[in-house]
This record gives sequence, structure tokens and C-alpha cells, in this order.
Amino acid sequence: MEPGTQYSHNVISSSKLGPIGPSHSRLTRYSILLATAKVLTCVGIFQSYDVLKLLHIIHFVFYFKFGTALLLVFLQKPFSFGKKITMSQWLRILRHAFFSCIISLMWFYGLTLCGPLRTLLIYGHSDLLVTSLLSVLFRSSAGSPAKTRGAVLFVIGVVCLLLFDNDDLMAKIAEHPEGRHSSAITHGLHTAISLLGLADHKAGVFLLLATLLLRVGYQAASRKLAVDVGGAKRLHALSTLLSAALLSPWVLGLLTQNGQGGDSPSLLTLTGSLLCVIFTVGVLEFYTEALCVAKLEGPPSACLGSVWLINGGLLFAWIWGEPYSHWLSFSLAHGRSSTTEHVLSGGVLVSAACFLFATKFLLSPAQRGQKGNLIGYSAQGAPLYSFSSEGSMQPVLSPARFLRDCLKQVLEECDSRNIFYFLCLNLGFTFVELLYGAWTNSLGLISDGFHMLFDCSALLLGLFASLIARWKPTRSFPYGYSRVEILSGFVNGLFLVVIAAVVFIEAIGRLLDPPEINTEMLTPVSVGGLVVNLIGVCAFSHAHTHGGHVHSQSHAHDHSHGHSHSHTDHSGGRCDHSAVHSHGHGHKDHGHGLSTNMRGVFLHILADTLGSVGVIVSSMLIRQFGWFAADPICSIFIAVLIFLSVLPLLRDSSQLLLLRTPQEAEQTLSQGLNKVLGIVGVLSYREAHFWQHSAALMVGTLHVQVMPEAQEQRFVQQVLAIFKECGVTQMTVQVEKEEYLQHMNWARSDGHRSAGHVQCLRQHLNWNAGHVAMKCSEI
Amino acid sequence: MASSTSPFLGADFLPRRLGPKPDVVPTEVIERKTAPCGGQPPDMVTVNIPHVGSGLVQQKLNLGNQYVSGTIHPFRKPQKTIASRLIREFSLVSTDRRARKVVLFGILNILCTGVLVSWCHSTNSMALMAYTYLTIFDLFSILTCLISHWVALNRPTATYSFGYERFEVLVVFASTVLAQLGALFILKESVERVLEPTDIHTGRLLLGTAIALFFHLLTMLVVPSKAFSHVSEAASTSWLQEHVADLSRSLCGVLPSLSGVLLPRMNPFVLIDIAGAVALFVTYMSVEMSAYYAVDTMSAMAIALMTFGTMYPMSLYSGKVLLQTTPSHMIGQLDKLLREASTLDGVLEFRNEHFWTLKFGSLAGSVHVRVRRDANEQLVLAHVTNRLSVLVSPLTVQIFKDDWSRSNLSPGGLAPGNIPAADWLATMPHSLHSHSPLTSTPTKSSNPTAEFSFGTPGL
Repeated sequence: MEPGTQYSHNVISSSKLGPIGPSHSRLTRYSILLATAKVLTCVGIFQSYDVLKLLHIIHFVFYFKFGTALLLVFLQKPFSFGKKITMSQWLRILRHAFFSCIISLMWFYGLTLCGPLRTLLIYGHSDLLVTSLLSVLFRSSAGSPAKTRGAVLFVIGVVCLLLFDNDDLMAKIAEHPEGRHSSAITHGLHTAISLLGLADHKAGVFLLLATLLLRVGYQAASRKLAVDVGGAKRLHALSTLLSAALLSPWVLGLLTQNGQGGDSPSLLTLTGSLLCVIFTVGVLEFYTEALCVAKLEGPPSACLGSVWLINGGLLFAWIWGEPYSHWLSFSLAHGRSSTTEHVLSGGVLVSAACFLFATKFLLSPAQRGQKGNLIGYSAQGAPLYSFSSEGSMQPVLSPARFLRDCLKQVLEECDSRNIFYFLCLNLGFTFVELLYGAWTNSLGLISDGFHMLFDCSALLLGLFASLIARWKPTRSFPYGYSRVEILSGFVNGLFLVVIAAVVFIEAIGRLLDPPEINTEMLTPVSVGGLVVNLIGVCAFSHAHTHGGHVHSQSHAHDHSHGHSHSHTDHSGGRCDHSAVHSHGHGHKDHGHGLSTNMRGVFLHILADTLGSVGVIVSSMLIRQFGWFAADPICSIFIAVLIFLSVLPLLRDSSQLLLLRTPQEAEQTLSQGLNKVLGIVGVLSYREAHFWQHSAALMVGTLHVQVMPEAQEQRFVQQVLAIFKECGVTQMTVQVEKEEYLQHMNWARSDGHRSAGHVQCLRQHLNWNAGHVAMKCSEI
Repeated sequence: MASSTSPFLGADFLPRRLGPKPDVVPTEVIERKTAPCGGQPPDMVTVNIPHVGSGLVQQKLNLGNQYVSGTIHPFRKPQKTIASRLIREFSLVSTDRRARKVVLFGILNILCTGVLVSWCHSTNSMALMAYTYLTIFDLFSILTCLISHWVALNRPTATYSFGYERFEVLVVFASTVLAQLGALFILKESVERVLEPTDIHTGRLLLGTAIALFFHLLTMLVVPSKAFSHVSEAASTSWLQEHVADLSRSLCGVLPSLSGVLLPRMNPFVLIDIAGAVALFVTYMSVEMSAYYAVDTMSAMAIALMTFGTMYPMSLYSGKVLLQTTPSHMIGQLDKLLREASTLDGVLEFRNEHFWTLKFGSLAGSVHVRVRRDANEQLVLAHVTNRLSVLVSPLTVQIFKDDWSRSNLSPGGLAPGNIPAADWLATMPHSLHSHSPLTSTPTKSSNPTAEFSFGTPGL
């Protein structure tokens, strides 16, 4: 592994800065110890599964706790050593014991449900792994790609256990010995599971997952108590003793209630196996784990433990074959052949592999180089990162407050409010459709609902854009965010192009091979969609009326214009203020920018409306005349209409994005430039750039060359005044004289040679030449 | 006024005076766009190409005085249809031999895509459909290549005063967004497919995969798009790249000899092509071996998600260019330059700093500089420009003084009565041509050459 160290994740450990670890041989000793303990734990779990078949679960947990407590008290001597425990601490230990009882009961019940191997696969994970998994799943910024991969693999493993593990236990459910497991808890759980309609082992998987989470929380919560009491081992001993005491009345009650001799002989025969379980699962695992976590580090020991546990589980599942259980069953005449129960299956193998890799990835040391900010390079050339800002960058807002703020912002302006209301309407319609589809089991309805969701994404985009556009300028967005609306309009245009293309291709496919269409369900749905979309058209038509105003030469425009006009009166009633407001804008800058986003949204709704109309028309045609080609022809027509109506939007928004000189202002701008030349003292100008940044912002830059004697500031003021008249809102003027060029020459001769600079100077020189020539001609 | 200048004056600057005011320098005329008739015969067009290659200086000259000729409105006067304009541009581009190769590849790609689409219908496989969408994306990348050629042939005009390079950015953005929309569509179809499972035929699945993969890699190799390679290098890594990098780093820990192949940053397109092919292969195997049709939908979703992951950083990057933003890694360098420039003599503060990405890898910007009333504006202008032009190439610096009318009127002797008896006025220059910089600090003014020694350039 000598060359491999340079790729190891832990950069520190490869240099001399890292912590000095113990020698390798000692580590090996502890790992071997851990491996042995884990394999023995596997044995214990398999053993306890067999025992649980014969013994009541409450009895089993009681014996388990009691035996463990005896051993622990003997080993740990919690009463003779350590400080005195107060009354309140006793109460806390009692609470601890109570939860530990519940966790043990759930664990062993899960074990009876889904067998030892699956129990090991799910419940055998360490707390560290689970916390790491949870942090990856629920905190977006946590973890390297390896951790993400591990989390995904873990989820895949669970899904594999749930879906692809054909552990067929229907037979067991049929002959479930309800009489034997008649305790209140198991009965309650069993009814809950059968209510959920899950297979037995799947319920076990869920139960064990819940238990695992509970255990992690419980361990974390008991950490403080352990410190107060004086050590985790002492707490464990006391808590186990108390939990045995807690369980004892229940056990006694059960014994007196059942009272038959069926269990008492089994207890004697089972003593050996019970002792084995107590020794391995109860005592040995606890002590080894505590030792190894202390000696090795946390993550490696957890990783090693999980790996050995899973491997041991796989091994024993293969070779166990339940001889002991057989022997017991025969001896006790509980003839129940269970050789085919909870065997290995492909799904289990896959999920075991997933869990193994997930353990590896999730417990790999955190490698945070990729998310930090690069500060610079060290003397050796290694990159240096800063991670300090990561935690303090964004104050965590509570989700409710965040949503409320967002909603407030959305409702502030008419555009975003319109989009939001329509989005709500659309989503409501979609969910009604989905629910009704699920209720009546109609696939057509459900897929139409998904189509509506697909469309809603465009609305969502428009909504986001109109929200973001109001943000204040930052360092990386020097002109503010208002351009986002143009970009969103462009993206929505592209979206519509994709939709048109897909509809077109599908229609051609259907034209060649016409399928049977069931028009029964389509008409009411499409009428509903039409109503919803018509409302949208009403609400948004004002955004389009002057959006399309500029490009009345567009072919498809006539159609859409008709639509929007027919509902203008409604829209006036709905949003009077905004209509007036945007009209004002429309006069000022001809409806660019502001409406680009809204135009995209509007066209989208229009396309949906057209789709609904097309469906209604074609279904009517099919019903009346049985003309099946009507559907694809309608689709083609609609696709072409959508495409043609989206072209102007695409052209306008792309021209804005390409920083074209604003078309409407071209005339006034060239007049303005002529006026600049008319100023006395101005020789020439260059670098005249004008562009529309967003609806309200036209930006311009200009370099003016003036006579050497003139005052620069006067020119700046004059030029600014000229272009303010032209409608340029942000103008920057650079006034140059011949002196400037001489300075630049000086700078160049001082050996400053970057490519851009030289180019720049070349321009200046040329201008200078022209200028000098001009002077000569003057003379 | 500018339209009165004859377009055939030649490339030289001919200074003239029309009337009392100084005229502008006329534009040079070889510029294709400003040709008066607009509809040049194709042979004329071909003649122009060597000019384009050689006349760098002329091109640069042209930059400045575009707007004067802009009153001609070369684009709008002829009022030609889009189709004929496209054909003209296309014939122009196709004169280049490399561009012809690109066009050839485009045609091949269209054929291949057609075949693949028909096979998608015959196999009924969603995953192959998702993979075919990647072939369509390849078509866009070929188109981008063609547009890069076209952009290189064009110079800034009045309407597009910054030049045509932003077309590349827009095309890259559009194609990545289209790929993502296609992936969204695949996701939606897959959800519908989950609800209504159908059988798929594996007959041509593997063949289609092989052909598509071959074409992807061939396109990547033979027609490398300059714009896309820039974006894929400059954009942040996609999650696919991150995971592969992470895995290969672990793998190199075991097999160090592979480090040359695995450790450099993977090309995202090659990565997604290979990953998609693997997903299709898995689909094929599981359908063939255990008739497990749901895998097809799963791998379609996986390919769609990978497409998302690959395209999202690129569209983010190009979208940010389109939004006129400052790249975050440049902010630090710009700050450093501005800090340096603010120590120049006479500079008081910078305001309205607008630095934004003009095209891939180049910044444009404008800044307002407030200077002291007695500062030499041209000197400050030269120095600020000199500092910043390292990073920002079309740069406009506006210099302003508070209360300039008073301070500038007084030394000119126009209003000598209201000069306050301040000490600094004594050092006021009476000629703006003086080369000695004016400073309030005597140490600096004593050695004027220090102002010109740019010992520590910005980078």
C-alpha cells in the first residue's frame, strides 16, 4: 500500500501533522477481538431466534435481561463502587430501563417476524452509521459524494429487502400460533401489521428500522445520564437490572395466568441456549464494543463490526439449517418443519452487499476538500481551503417562516400573484384528477394528471423568476437579478418547443398507426382542463396583449389575439391596477422584458388550452363520424400553432440575452450619438454599446475623444444628459484625450505586456494616428 | 452623416471635416455586414474571408466606429426572409473545410438519430429513448460547433456591438436546457410507464446501444465543440463526475498505475455516454435473463437523472454568462485590482462597479471613479484602465469630480475672484498636458516616474 497512501482520503494522516496512532499489531489484536465478538453475536442472534420459537417473547426478554443483569452486576459491581446515586438519578435510570425494555421487545419481535439474517442486516448497524445516514438524508450540505453514495446504497438495500426479497412466509401467517403469542404487545403489533396489509417479514423490516432509529435516539439521550451516574457500563448494569425488575410482574402474571406445564420443562432444556444468548448478545458484545471504540477509533470499529456482523449473518444463514431448533422441536413434539423459513434469497444477497458498501462509504472519513473555498496555495503547492464560512453562511430559517416570507413576496406583485393563484388552481385540479383516477383506477386520468404536473413546472419556473427578479444587486449580479425574467421567458419558450415537437412526433406515430381511443373519459377531463386554462388565459391576457403588440406580423398571433381579446373584459375586472400599470410600461419600452416572463407563462397556458380544445374537437369528431384520424391531425395542427406562437418570444428573449442594441431605441440612439459629435470639442467616439438589461434598465457605455484643452467633466455631463433623453438609464462615459494615450504608451514601455492590454493599446495608437492626421489636415 | 461616406474609401482613416464640427473617422468597408447592397454574390463572400483572417487591426479599428455606420441598419434595410439569410450564412460557413466536416457529421447524426428513434418505437424501450435524446444533444453540440465557426467569421456590427460570441453562449445554454427538458419529459413518461407497464423487445436494444455509443464517442472525438469543451471545464462538476472522481480516487489507492487515466477530470459527456450505455446493457441483460421489464423504466429514469446532473452545472454556468454576472472566482481578483487601483494618486473611491461576463472567458465592465478635485483625470484614467484591462477587456471608466465646475474654473483664470486661499491650489497645474502627476503627498510628486512603474501588475 506504499504508493496508495498518496491517494488516501485523510490528508493529515499522510503528513507528519496527524495524530499518532497506536502500533499496528495492537490494532490487529483489537480488530480480531471485535470480529470474534461479532461472529459470536451472530451465533447468539440465530440461537435466540430458535429459542423465541419455543418461548414466549416476554419470558425470553425477561430471562435475557435478568441473566445479563446478573452477569453485569457481578462483573461491574455497581453498588459497591462509585459515588452514591441520588433519588432523581434512580428515577432517570428507571426511565432508561423502561425504554430499553421497549426497544428489546421490539427488537426481538422483529426478529421473530423476519428472521435472524434480516435482523442482523438492519439492526446490526452502529449508531454512528445511522447518524451519518440521517445527516446525509436530511441536511443538504452534509457530506462528501461518498456519503451520498452510501446513503443511496443503504436506501437501495432497504428497498431490496422490502421489494425483491421473496421470503415467502404466507404459510407461516396462515398457521400463526395466535394462542402462543397472546401477550398484549405482540397482539397489538400483529393487528397493526395485518391492518397495514404487509407481509410478515416486511412488517419486521419496518419494525426493526423504527427500533433502530429509536435505539439511536435512546443512546444519544442516555449519554448525559451515563456521565451523571458514573460511566456507561455502570448505567448499563443498573438499567438492565431495573428492566428485568420491570418485566418481572408481567412474567409472573403470565405464568400464573397460563400456569400450564408446557413452558416449565422447556426452560430447563433451553437453559444452555439462553445462557449462550445472554453471554454473546448481552455481555460480550457490549464489552467488546466499548473496548474497541476506545482503542480503535469510532468509525473504523463501527465499520469493522458491521462488516463482520453482516458476513457472519450470511455465513450462518447458509450453514445454520436450524439443526438445534429441529432437535428442540422434536424433543418437545412441536412438529413444525421450518427448514424453508427465512432462507437466503437473491434480494437478501443484493441488499447485504448494498449494506456492506453503504457501511464502507458512510463511515469513511469525511473529506471536505471539495466544498471549501480555495484560499490559495501553500509553499509546497498544496491547495488550501477555508471551511469556516460553511456553518455560518446561512442562518437557518424555520421552514414555516420561510414559507410565509415567500408567500408574502409572491402576493406583493400582481404578476407573481396571478401566477401563484393559477398554479394553485392548476395543482388543485391535478390532484383532484389524480385522486379520482386512483379512486376509479383509471390510468388515463392518472397519466393526464402527471401531464398537468409536467405543465405546472413551467408555471413554477415563471413564479420563481418573478420572485428572484426582485432581489437586490450583489457582487456577482452587479445589475441586479431582473434579467432572470428574460431567461425564464427563454426557457419557457424552449419548453414549449419541446412540447410542440413531442406532440408532433406522437401525432405522426398515431397517424401511421392509429390506435383505438376511448373517448368516454376524455371529454369531461378535457372540459375541466379547458375551464381551468381559460381562467388562466383571462388572468394573463394583459401580459400578452402588448407582448404580441410588437410582433403583429406573426402568423399564429391572430389566433391567440382572438383569445385574449375575447376575455379582456374579465381580466380588466380581475386585475385592473396591474393592467394599467403594465400598459404604462408597454408604452415606455414596448412590452419587452417585463412581459417576457409573463409571455412565456401565458403561451404555456394558451398551449394547454389549445390542447384541451383539440381533445374536445377530436373526440366529438370521432364520436360523430368515427373519423379516427381526427385526433392526430388535431395534434399536428396544435403543435404547429404552439411552435409558431412561441417563435416571437424566443426571438425577442434571445435578442435581449445576446445584448442586441434595442431595436426600438435604435433611431433615438443614433441621433444621440450624432448629438454627441455635435458637442464642440468632441473629436470622435468609440465603444458605443447599448443594451437592454431588463425592462426598466437600459445600459450604455461610450468612449469619447475630446480636444486636449477641454474640460472632461463638462463632456461627461453633456453626454449623460443626451443619453438620458434617449432613455438610457445607466450610462458610463469615458472621456479621453491625447494625453491618455501617451500615458498608456508609457505604461506599455514599462514592460507591462498582457495580451488584452497590447490590443487595447493598438487601438489607441491607431486612433492616435488618425487623430494626428486629422490635426495635420486641419492645419 | 455616416451614410454619406462612400463605403469604398479603403481601410485607411481618412480624416475629413464636414462643416464646423469635427467629424468621425469613417468605418472601414470590407466588413461584410455593412455592405450597402446586402445581397452579395457568393464569390464576393469568398473573397472576403482572407480579409477576415488577416485584418486583425482593421477589425479592431472597426470596433470603435461601428455605430456611425449603424444608421444604415444593414440588417433591416434589405428585409430578407429568414430562410434566405440562413442559407447565405450557411453557404458562407460551409466554405471552410472543417465546417464542411462538421456539416457532414451533422447529417450523419440526423440519420443515426432517425434510425434510433424508429428502433425505439419498435423495441418500445424507454431507456433507449432516453439514450437517443443524448444523440439529439450531440446534434446540438455539432450545431454549436458550426455556430462557433460562423461567429469566428463575423465581426461586431451596429446591432450586436459586442460581437457575435454571445451566440455561442446562448446556443450552449439552449442545448443544455433542451437536454434537461428532454430528461424531464423522459421522467414524466417513465412515471406513466410505471403505472402502465409494457413489455419491451430486446431485439435491437443492444445494437442500438452500441451504435449510439459509437456515435457519441465519434462525435466527441472528431467534432470537438470549442464552446462545450470550455463550458465543461469551467462549470462546476456534476454529481456524476464527483462520484466517479471519488470512486476512482479510491480505486487508485488500490491500483496506482491507473492514476493517469482516472484521476484527471472526466469529460462529462463521455462519462454520461458510457454510464448510459452501461445502464442500457444492464437493462438488456435483466430483460433477457429474467424478463424483468421494470428495469427498463428504472434505467430510463437513471439516464434522465444523469442527464440532469450533467447538464445542470453547464446550463447554470452559461445562464450566468447570459445574466451578465461576475463569476465568483473573479471577484477576488477584481477586488485585488480595484484595491491596487484605489491606491493610485488622486483616486478617492470606486462606484457603480459593473463587471460582467461578456462571453466565455472574457469580462466586460464599467466603473465610475471619483477623484480628487486637483487630480489629473487623464492620468488616473490611464492608470485605472491599465490596471483593470488585465482582466476586463472592454472597459469604460467614467471619472467624476465633486464640485468640478468650481475647482476647474478657478485655475483657468475665468473666475479668479472666488478662489479660496487654499494651499493646494498653489500646486494646481495650469496646463492639462503636464506629465508630472499632481499629488498632495510630496514624496510621490517628487519622483513622477514612480507612477509609471507598474512593477506589480495585477496578476
